[in-house]
Amino acid sequence: MHVRIRDGVTLDLLPTKKFKTIGIKVDFVAPLQATAITARALLAQVLETSTAEYPTQTALARQLSRLYGASFGISVVKLGTKHVIRLTCSVVDEQYLAQYQDTMPLFERGMALLQAVLFAPLLPNGNFDPTTFTQQRQNLLTAIKSLDDDKQYLANRRLQELLFTGQPAQAMSALGDVTTLGELTANDILATYHEMLAHDAVHVAVIGDVSEKRVTTALAAWPLAERLEPTTEPYYRWTARSQVQAGDDEAPVVQAKLNLAYQLPIYRSDADFLPAVVFNAAFGGTPLSLLFTNVREKASLAYYASSDYNPFTGALTVQTGIQAQNQERVIAIVTEQLQALQAGKLSTELLAEVKASLLNARLASLDSPQRQLTGALNSGLTHLQEPLTHWQEKLAQVTVADVQRVAQQVSLQATYCLHGKETGDANETRV
Amino acid sequence: MLTKHAYSRLGETVYQTTLENGLKVILIPKADFHKTFAVMTTNYGAIDNEFVPRGQQQAVRFPDGIAHFLEHKLFEKEDHDAFDLFGQYGASANAFTSFTQTSYLFSTTNHVRENLDILLDFVQEPYFTAATVNKEKGIIGQEIQMYDDDPGWQSYFGMIGQLYPREPLHIDIAGTVESIAQITADDLYAAYQTFYHPSNMSLVIVGQLEPETVLAWITANQARKTFGPNEPIQRVASPQTPAAEIVPQTTRHLTVTRPKVSIGLRGYDEVPAGRAGLRYSAAVSLALDLLFNDTGDHYLRLYDANIIDDSFGYDFQVQRGAHFAQLAGDTDHPETFVSELTAILDDAAAQLVAAQEQFDLVKREAIGRLIGAINSVEAIANQYDGPLFGGTTIFDELTILEQLTFADVQQALAAFLAASQRTVYTILP
Repeated sequence: MHVRIRDGVTLDLLPTKKFKTIGIKVDFVAPLQATAITARALLAQVLETSTAEYPTQTALARQLSRLYGASFGISVVKLGTKHVIRLTCSVVDEQYLAQYQDTMPLFERGMALLQAVLFAPLLPNGNFDPTTFTQQRQNLLTAIKSLDDDKQYLANRRLQELLFTGQPAQAMSALGDVTTLGELTANDILATYHEMLAHDAVHVAVIGDVSEKRVTTALAAWPLAERLEPTTEPYYRWTARSQVQAGDDEAPVVQAKLNLAYQLPIYRSDADFLPAVVFNAAFGGTPLSLLFTNVREKASLAYYASSDYNPFTGALTVQTGIQAQNQERVIAIVTEQLQALQAGKLSTELLAEVKASLLNARLASLDSPQRQLTGALNSGLTHLQEPLTHWQEKLAQVTVADVQRVAQQVSLQATYCLHGKETGDANETRV
Repeated sequence: MLTKHAYSRLGETVYQTTLENGLKVILIPKADFHKTFAVMTTNYGAIDNEFVPRGQQQAVRFPDGIAHFLEHKLFEKEDHDAFDLFGQYGASANAFTSFTQTSYLFSTTNHVRENLDILLDFVQEPYFTAATVNKEKGIIGQEIQMYDDDPGWQSYFGMIGQLYPREPLHIDIAGTVESIAQITADDLYAAYQTFYHPSNMSLVIVGQLEPETVLAWITANQARKTFGPNEPIQRVASPQTPAAEIVPQTTRHLTVTRPKVSIGLRGYDEVPAGRAGLRYSAAVSLALDLLFNDTGDHYLRLYDANIIDDSFGYDFQVQRGAHFAQLAGDTDHPETFVSELTAILDDAAAQLVAAQEQFDLVKREAIGRLIGAINSVEAIANQYDGPLFGGTTIFDELTILEQLTFADVQQALAAFLAASQRTVYTILP
């Protein structure tokens, strides 16, 4: 059920009795701007820490415990040309508790908590508490730096930077960059906070055994003014380069991480979106895929070899974990698989299998409250409300020729390898 | 012959039975779910590397990593790969090996019977040859190296290695590049024949299912196969590291941005058998919540002093033959991190009393989290603990948790700490 609460504020209600919890998600969606990403990430971190009513982490954590271990968090997400500050809260449906004595049900308690976080943050003297601010800025700084300890993440980050050279908003992670972060002040994020409340498009979604009336009543208490409806599309469109960008770095890794980026200029609202999803599933998106079969199973060259397709940025990426000396062989095998699909060499068996696997994944997502809540934003941004049966029919109709047509639009843009000091010594360095 | 146990408040029912061949079957229907999730588990994992192979007299020491290697190889058959069979129906399949168990699973939204037959058949019809075994060494070698590059894993295993230097627990689940090089097809058959008898296995299915129908499918599948008699498994008892031998602290340098500290506590007390073991485990976990979670006073004090941050975490694990607690985090002050946390542990009984007024809160939180987990068919299936606590499910765990008192928690923590040995494993940049 999709409801427009007022201009720029929407609600998706997904009523169901199959879960033991009620899930709430609130997305604040702004245009993606390199200058704003970092401040929004820090704002999310500060808002998550405390509120006027619960002025310390401990006070907030105790309130969550009181609500029977309500989960609560604020995260930031990049989605094409949009930057999203996402609040989530999940509470137990009290009918499953042995004894619940409070007169107010847990859903309303959860909504009240989100309201406190959003509209009554800890602002002594009209600005964010200096101690909290400094501490959370430091925490975010170390969190961003520590992410690089995950070498798969690091290789992917470097690849994005290479792919989107000169396009800072796309090159940057959703958490922003450390240089900007170090210079941010409490005033900066206060301004970001007011900007977010006044101008961001707001998408609320709720899933569980709860009526529309209960949700709209709780929402009515939130001081959310109407705002301009966003006019820009969520898709990032860019011009492919004729020259492949190549990069590599040396790091103390035993296993080299070789990542490739391609342009696949098909977006979520395009007619070829579903064929593009099928293409990715056949190329490297599933364990049945050509990459998994040929790089890992047949050639024994990698533990992982997979592809990802982002229908908001039109980028396709390939990730592999290999021995550095095999880099050229792996690139050759990956290229062969793409060329095969471009030549229409896709067996009807594999096509049927990846379709069955996509259908399974789609149906399985209906069993996950989180995935249903995030799916609601995708439909909100793309204005696509497609019934399952319609999607199923379209999926069934995707042909080898459709996949081939999609594959022919794929062009290599960047390659990146994170590798150890010398090649060939990987077997000796086991510690 | 399914026995039925209803948990009426939760609206859930568990059906179970043991087949003639010894296979334990647990069926948990979830109304309105699209998914059916099945997991078949043998009570055999990475630590079981020395045993008397079925049909032989003498104990044999097998290469490290053999249970995990066997897990990989079971998918591959003479003319096909089981992954591809699941793939025909779009089901997703996977497997994993822990210290004490190996599990094979699939998740599907249709063709449950066909997928179930594939699972039972590929797990129960081994096919190992020298050629396929050798090919797998490259893939697993890459997997081992992937973990070598993961500082979080290195920190966890570093701590375990300090606590269990003589026990096989200290060996990486996947083994080493050197140890897996020695594995032969005959080794895999010996391990398989010993541990994959139905009487050493369980099959848990959760989600969209009709219990009697599914049982009939399983029974029909099993009737097509013959199994040897159910013989007791003879594992060679692992050596025990005496408490006095545990090295109190070790430091290692790796390329990390910040120091990582892991404090491990090995329990030398006896974990009670059956359900009481689950009760003990839940009670110690709640005690750690009271001492260390973010609703406590220590957390805020240490957080504000920059001793701990959001990376701080702790957990308590009970495995067959071992139980230990871990407190870990990234910190710029590794020495203070250790001294502050050990000070709390040294004064645990009094600290627990000081935190008593939070008991209701931490218990509520644990209950709520467990109820939330019932949304997930995977969580329900994976929470089935097999022989460890006498076949309890997530629903039993909830009942046990609801009944826990503060005194239970005090008692369990005291028993654990009194006979525990501590170690500190630090990774510095």
